[in-house]
Amino acid sequence: MSNGIPLAEALARYRPDADLGPLPELTDTDTLLNAYHPDHLRGSVVKLAVGANAGDSCQRDLAGLLQSEAFIDEADLAGTPVTDIDVLVIGGGGAGCAAALMAAEKGARVLLATKLRLGDSNTVMAEGGIQAAIEPDDSIQRHIQDTLRGGHHAGDPALVSAMAGDGPDVLRWLIRQGMQFEQTPSGDLHTRRAGGMSAARLVHCRDYTGLEMMRVLREAVIQHRSIEVWEQSPAVELLSNELGQKCVGAVLTSLLDGQLRIVRTRSVILATGGLGRLHLNGFPTSNHLGATGDGLVLAYRIGARLRELDSFQYHPTGLLHPSHLSGKLVTEGVRAAGALLVNGLGRRFIDELLPRDMVCAAILRECSEGRGIRIDDQRVGVWLDTPRLERANPGLLEQQFPNLMTRTRVSGIDPRLEPLLVHPTLHYQNGGAVIDTNGATTVPGLYAVGEVAGGIHGRNRIMGNALLEIISFGRRAGIAATANRDRGPKKVTLEHVNRLRRALTLAGMPMTQRAPQVLPAYAAGGVWNR
Amino acid sequence: MTTSDATANEGELQPSVILTINGLAVNAHKGMTLVEAAWHAGVPRVTSVGCMEGVCGSCRVMLRRGKEVTVGLACQTFVEDGIEAVLLPPASAPQHHYELSDFKDGWDIHARFQDIFPEASRCRHCHGCDNACPKGITVENGVALAVAGRYREAGDAFFECVMCELCDVACPELIAPAHVGLFSRRITAHFHQRPPNLIHRLEELRQDKSGTTQEEKDE
Ligand SMILES: Cc1cc2nc3c(=O)[nH]c(=O)nc-3n(C[C@H](O)[C@H](O)[C@H](O)COP(=O)(O)OP(=O)(O)OC[C@H]3O[C@@H](n4cnc5c(N)ncnc54)[C@H](O)[C@@H]3O)c2cc1C
Ligand code: SF4
Ligand code: SF4
Ligand code: FES
Repeated sequence: MSNGIPLAEALARYRPDADLGPLPELTDTDTLLNAYHPDHLRGSVVKLAVGANAGDSCQRDLAGLLQSEAFIDEADLAGTPVTDIDVLVIGGGGAGCAAALMAAEKGARVLLATKLRLGDSNTVMAEGGIQAAIEPDDSIQRHIQDTLRGGHHAGDPALVSAMAGDGPDVLRWLIRQGMQFEQTPSGDLHTRRAGGMSAARLVHCRDYTGLEMMRVLREAVIQHRSIEVWEQSPAVELLSNELGQKCVGAVLTSLLDGQLRIVRTRSVILATGGLGRLHLNGFPTSNHLGATGDGLVLAYRIGARLRELDSFQYHPTGLLHPSHLSGKLVTEGVRAAGALLVNGLGRRFIDELLPRDMVCAAILRECSEGRGIRIDDQRVGVWLDTPRLERANPGLLEQQFPNLMTRTRVSGIDPRLEPLLVHPTLHYQNGGAVIDTNGATTVPGLYAVGEVAGGIHGRNRIMGNALLEIISFGRRAGIAATANRDRGPKKVTLEHVNRLRRALTLAGMPMTQRAPQVLPAYAAGGVWNR
Repeated sequence: MTTSDATANEGELQPSVILTINGLAVNAHKGMTLVEAAWHAGVPRVTSVGCMEGVCGSCRVMLRRGKEVTVGLACQTFVEDGIEAVLLPPASAPQHHYELSDFKDGWDIHARFQDIFPEASRCRHCHGCDNACPKGITVENGVALAVAGRYREAGDAFFECVMCELCDVACPELIAPAHVGLFSRRITAHFHQRPPNLIHRLEELRQDKSGTTQEEKDE
């Protein structure tokens, strides 16, 4: 991409008080999405050949991981220490912690195993807020409609109703755990309206909503008598019964010493989050280091059905500059507060509060049609006009977005004076494991909650629904997994791995690649070395 | 568009910087963070990294510049010539235990606090915690506010706390200031956040009005 307006020229032209011209009318959203959204990049989608979704469309890089060789063999299981537990939760973000707390509350002994440190997650990075229909002019029904519409009607209405209906009680539960939210002077929860919402529904803790949620849940989990936590312990395989048809545990490794451990259990709750660190289609990402899609790989190998494997959310406003923050997010809250998007010609080009996929496609269109702002041959973006916002509302950035201000200050950038250069960034996995309203997957004994699960956001998520989903379904799965009181596994096997191997051989697929990825290649210099 | 390879910083054009990380000599480029430099040089076992934007508190690092020793967050610290960086292991499990569900009543919180954090009242005002905190939090003052029973203000002081627990490590009295901060924040929410708009909606739902608005009911 060599076209675009050079940075210096665009900066010289930029004025926070310039007339931005009329907003061009958006006539055909389908054409915009088809032409510019990364999901529609030519060659980026393939058909899966084996497994529960054989024949379905799937993003190419992800398909490679879903149809790959495992790390673990029967030989690895012999002599490996075994731990027995009622409920195993894999993943220590918001969804995993909510599930663990609920299971423990219902009387289960819980083991929570997580890849990095407890709380190293996408949850901790969430800024904008969590949705719940609590305002008088809002309703559960409207929340459901907005979510389904935002997802292009590809979501599962039963899951969406369950989540939206849980919203107010999720807030109560979080407050009981000790989470603080922004309040109005009269004590109401402060709400904002963001993209795709028909009412003000975004509840938040300034722009640290995820951090506040995560540090509270992390503390609650650490303090809980019935929950044991293993950090630096990624799951590398699930375990099945003799028939390969039920999930009865998992194999964990240790990033510290490489030791394998077997966990035998009645119920496994997968809460491994998203996959931004796979850098699909070569995009930068907003995600934390551990977001490598492991849960999808593990679930698929044991036979669980997945959905919307060709639909990802690229957040419109990832930072393009400075480079060490490449892909990091400027929360949508900033646009919700009134910040506009401006191209290199000093023009607005899209309604900033349209659903994310459209805003993202519109930015990519500006960039590819030469109206972007170019830093160098590889990096082109558009302005997020924060100085104009500051002019209209002096002090607002400092007051409401301390996180953004702190991050940019470290790099010597002041968003009150200079507009931020932004470009879409790989942000969220819209699909995931097929679940029911208990978070149960299509494989008995296996639950999936949070970003690893699918069906709620259809083909596009609106802001604030992820944080709601992780608590709503995390709690549901924690309860359901505990209710499973069968006698537990007699034998743990890798029968499901053998089954997938046979299928791959039959399909003539190579088994050169191993998965799950666990860490991105550039960070994998440690014990975890393939 | 930036590609994945470039996330480890496209520093080729930048002047090079020589430092040590975990005892290994590392060649890096100006503008890289310590985390990027460690990956760039293939330093093994760098898994105490999460968000890379200074919000998860995982990447705790000890820094030595000549005789001066400080602590910080590796993803927020840029490489410097001659600096010695040691990435710290995860913090050990907390030593102060409580479950909010055990607290029945806000009136005895202050007594409970003294039981749970008996060391807090022995703060010797050494500023160890303040000096350690990468977020510039007035930790020492936050602890003093909690000891005085002013939990809301104490909690507010810890608003930007990222759970790195570097203050806990620095504290000679083993007060666990980070957990004092969290305790203060949590009980403030638990006992005092009672938002009318939320409570009203919960009551509507309890009465099974299903949260429909007036127009929808009229329809
Ligand atoms: C920068 C950013 C901002 C966001 N802002 C918002 C917002 O404002 N509102 C909103 O609603 N949503 C937001 N989101 C989305 C939302 O934060 C996430 O979708 C949600 O928090 C995911 O929660 P989770 O518990 O499913 O996954 P995570 O929170 O990512 O937790 C997954 C955990 O599983 C661990 N794990 C992964 N693989 C393994 C393995 N193999 N074995 C063991 N453990 C493993 C990970 O290390 C991690 O701890 C944002 C996301 C990002 C990245
Ligand atoms: S208060 Fe303590 S735990 Fe919190 S950021 Fe500062 S040093 Fe880290
Ligand atoms: S480090 Fe401990 S003793 Fe020193 S000032 Fe801080 S809380 Fe007090
Ligand atoms: S990696 Fe999260 S604070 Fe540095």
